[in-house]
Amino acid sequence: MRQRIARRIVPALALAAALAIAGSGAARAAAGDVFPYPVHQKKLANGLNVMAIPFDSPGIVAYVTIVRTGSRDEVEAGHSGFAHFFEHMMFRGTKKHPGEEYNAELKAMGADSNANTSDDRTFYYIVGPAAKLETMAELESDRFMNLDYAEDAFRTEAGAILGEYSKGASNPFQPLDEKTRDVAFGAHTYKHTTIGFLADVKDMPNQYEYSKSFFKRFYRPENSTVLVVGDVEPEQIFALAEKYYAAWKPGYQAPAVAKEPAPTGTQRAHLDWPSPTNPYLTISYRTPAFAADRTWASLLVIEQLLFSESAPLYQALVVDKQWVDFVGGDSDPHRDPYLFGIYARVRSDELMPQVEGAILGAIAELRDRPVDAARLDRIKSHLRYSFALSLDSPLAVARQVGQIVWLTGDVAPLKQLWKEIEAVTPQDVQRAAREVFQEKGMTVVTLSHPAAPSTGKTEGGAR
Amino acid sequence: MSARRASLRTFALVAAGMFALAASGLAQDGTTAAASATAQRVTISPKEPAPAGTIELVTLPSPQSPIVAIRAFFRTGSIDDPAGKEGLADLTASIVGEGATTKRSYKDLVEALYPLAANIQAQTDREVTVFSMVVHREKLDEATALLAEVLTQPAFDSNDLERHRKDSLSYLQTTLRAANDELLGLEAIQDQIYAGHPYGHADTGTVKGLGAITLDDVKRFYREHYTTGNLWLGVAGGYPAGYPERLAKTLAGLPAGGATVRTLPAVTPPTGRDILIIAKEAASTGIHVGYPLPITRADADYYPLMVVNSYLGEHRTFNGRLQTELRGKRGLNYGNYSYIEHYAAPPFTTNPTPNVPRREQYFSVWIRPVQPENAQFALRGALYEVQQLADKGMSKEDFELTRDYLLGYSKLWAQTLTRRLGFLLDSKFYGTPYWIDEIGKHLATMTVDDVNRAAKKYLQTDHWDGVIVAGNADALKAKLESDAPSPITYKNAVPPDVTAIDPTIAKLPVKPTKVEVVPVASMFEK
Repeated sequence: MRQRIARRIVPALALAAALAIAGSGAARAAAGDVFPYPVHQKKLANGLNVMAIPFDSPGIVAYVTIVRTGSRDEVEAGHSGFAHFFEHMMFRGTKKHPGEEYNAELKAMGADSNANTSDDRTFYYIVGPAAKLETMAELESDRFMNLDYAEDAFRTEAGAILGEYSKGASNPFQPLDEKTRDVAFGAHTYKHTTIGFLADVKDMPNQYEYSKSFFKRFYRPENSTVLVVGDVEPEQIFALAEKYYAAWKPGYQAPAVAKEPAPTGTQRAHLDWPSPTNPYLTISYRTPAFAADRTWASLLVIEQLLFSESAPLYQALVVDKQWVDFVGGDSDPHRDPYLFGIYARVRSDELMPQVEGAILGAIAELRDRPVDAARLDRIKSHLRYSFALSLDSPLAVARQVGQIVWLTGDVAPLKQLWKEIEAVTPQDVQRAAREVFQEKGMTVVTLSHPAAPSTGKTEGGAR
Repeated sequence: MSARRASLRTFALVAAGMFALAASGLAQDGTTAAASATAQRVTISPKEPAPAGTIELVTLPSPQSPIVAIRAFFRTGSIDDPAGKEGLADLTASIVGEGATTKRSYKDLVEALYPLAANIQAQTDREVTVFSMVVHREKLDEATALLAEVLTQPAFDSNDLERHRKDSLSYLQTTLRAANDELLGLEAIQDQIYAGHPYGHADTGTVKGLGAITLDDVKRFYREHYTTGNLWLGVAGGYPAGYPERLAKTLAGLPAGGATVRTLPAVTPPTGRDILIIAKEAASTGIHVGYPLPITRADADYYPLMVVNSYLGEHRTFNGRLQTELRGKRGLNYGNYSYIEHYAAPPFTTNPTPNVPRREQYFSVWIRPVQPENAQFALRGALYEVQQLADKGMSKEDFELTRDYLLGYSKLWAQTLTRRLGFLLDSKFYGTPYWIDEIGKHLATMTVDDVNRAAKKYLQTDHWDGVIVAGNADALKAKLESDAPSPITYKNAVPPDVTAIDPTIAKLPVKPTKVEVVPVASMFEK
């Protein structure tokens, strides 16, 4: 597989990237030491953001390109899914390095290479030998500047996209995600998933000309970041960037993404599933656009308060009552107002109201009462150590840093967010809960088998 | 968490688009900042066979690292499930790894581990059960005490049994049957290949087997198989001097006993082409083909066959012919890969998972969902590639490119400390030096003749088991049985080499010996 969609691949907790302890052999850094690795940054004259982060991975680098364009930017009707489709086309090569040659070059260096698309960005990476940095820069700059593909190849790739849609279609989370967005959004492009509406996916083979305009408008240096992590010298990266990217012409045209009006009431929807299944419950709340502020720091803490294994709600639903197969939640930061998503698979249809009641009850408690300060401290400790353990490879570091860059366009908010998390008080949590968990911003979508018996057992039949 | 629990949770997270949720412990493989992709010196000690009943240590020091990775590797797995109690090994691992101890409730255990961000994960495969933990060395002592308590003082609480039993049943009945057709096929192909063999049921077990398991069964399984003699204790990272020995001493409270590794019966190879169609409501069709292989990482032939396989279908890359031919040129689906050994949870990872070693291995081809009208053609297309490679081998240029690729790429599989430790334990299992080093050593002296000999010896398309997950089962069965040509039409222009070869592929003889249609509701039942 290449180019999988990994929506929200580094979600909220990654933002705890702010929480620094690690570093090679480092003891815990003092608060305020946002990130243990120095970030070297330079902007080229054409607006390209270049970043280098030395990391102790002898001989290995992650070479990452982030384009701040995702399915959020698909503003024209009938073209949902194009940011992701376009990511696939980026592997079809240029006149200088046709797709097969591009792949052969990467293969020859023993590299791991892939890309993924989400609502707000497209993320391309190569992990391979540091000795081949110049080849990476040459290949990547060439395709970002000179992508060239024929209509036949375009139409063939559209088949692979349909295949990607198909492989997800047996999973209830695909329609649940589609329905949640459709119900929760009216004007904003978050209304559709990253892979796009099925009708649009099926029409993709006919949209060759549109695809080229997508490249011209969005794949521009001032909308992009080149981030190299690993066994690198920052000056070497800056020199390579000048050499290979300076000719990339600016010309980004920001799409006019419609603003979503404030929600005005709880929305509910239900989906039928053809196979016998335990029912699914999803509850989403409108969140503000991401910012490195106290509200977002509190939301990251709230994820833990509600859904970590030590959370009372988790313990009640999973361990004591055993009403669910799983339950979880994600604050899911986005560039524009999006959704705090909560999901559960419930052990029977009859239990659905009780599980929903338990979740809403735990949320109400966050709104009504300040949380225990000692518990807050334990959460901060967990976040700090989780982060230390998560910085496990050049690519992992690139994802952590990349997320703050695609969300905000800058790396500086990382430090700010850390300060905010350290400073979160019980009152902050309560304030954020009151702001985000409002009934008028709630969307509930359920999924079940229409004839499902409620015993948790499935019924027969090939159907 | 167990492999099944991990799958369940990965499923939920991936599906919900919440992949890297660090709290899950899944996204973080545990690591060291000093994670060198180049294999470092690793030690397996003691080199001599240990006296029966003693814990064997496998260490991988990395003094500069702030991280310590631990893997308690027990040589027991689903092959030790008693008949009629399928799922016992996995359920035991879940109850031990994610359950109460005699000193504290499961809730209190979670509470104690939480501020350390040190999850204990249990993973069960056919032959091995591993409990792994990654912890910052500042918190090593606290985490060690908890790990030792979990392993040596399980409470076997009935509430834990019921919770994990329900999880296992949900995995079989909902996740596999109704929520992920790819995982369904990947489990089912193993059941097919190993029918009648101890490998022949999912690690999670069967619905019937799970229903029959009692707390006494779990206790007995623990007593018989979680013995000091079955444990290889792996420790890696920036631990203090003497730590592995200290940890081993704290684990001396495990049941005393020597190794209990079960002798495996021979695997019966397939005769002809035996296809199982799993009938369910499905908009697309997923295809799996496989047969037993007589070699593992312990055999010299494994390494040339690894090169052959990389060229045929390297997992989730664009480097295999299956992928470039079926997806790249024809746009039939999203992915097509091949394997020469078991590959855990392939939809969720791009790297091999440590600690799923097996004495018996299998070759397999995974064709991700295709449009139903193209299913027969896709099957033929994949088999065509396999047979071509068996018959004609690789060119010298392709061989050299693939060899060089694997030399670099395989180093990327071991970027983190816990992965290196895992592969080191697997190497001990196979009785070889460190796997990643072995790859480098064998590839350095390999020739194109070596790989082509391996291709001819191990690849074939006449005798295999197939699993197809399909919505049009009866119609597909009729098509497969008739073996009539399955010409394909494209909405797009395809390259001339495709047009030239398609008619040959469309009439490739793939006459099945048997095609059986079963309803999805009967899968994993008993």
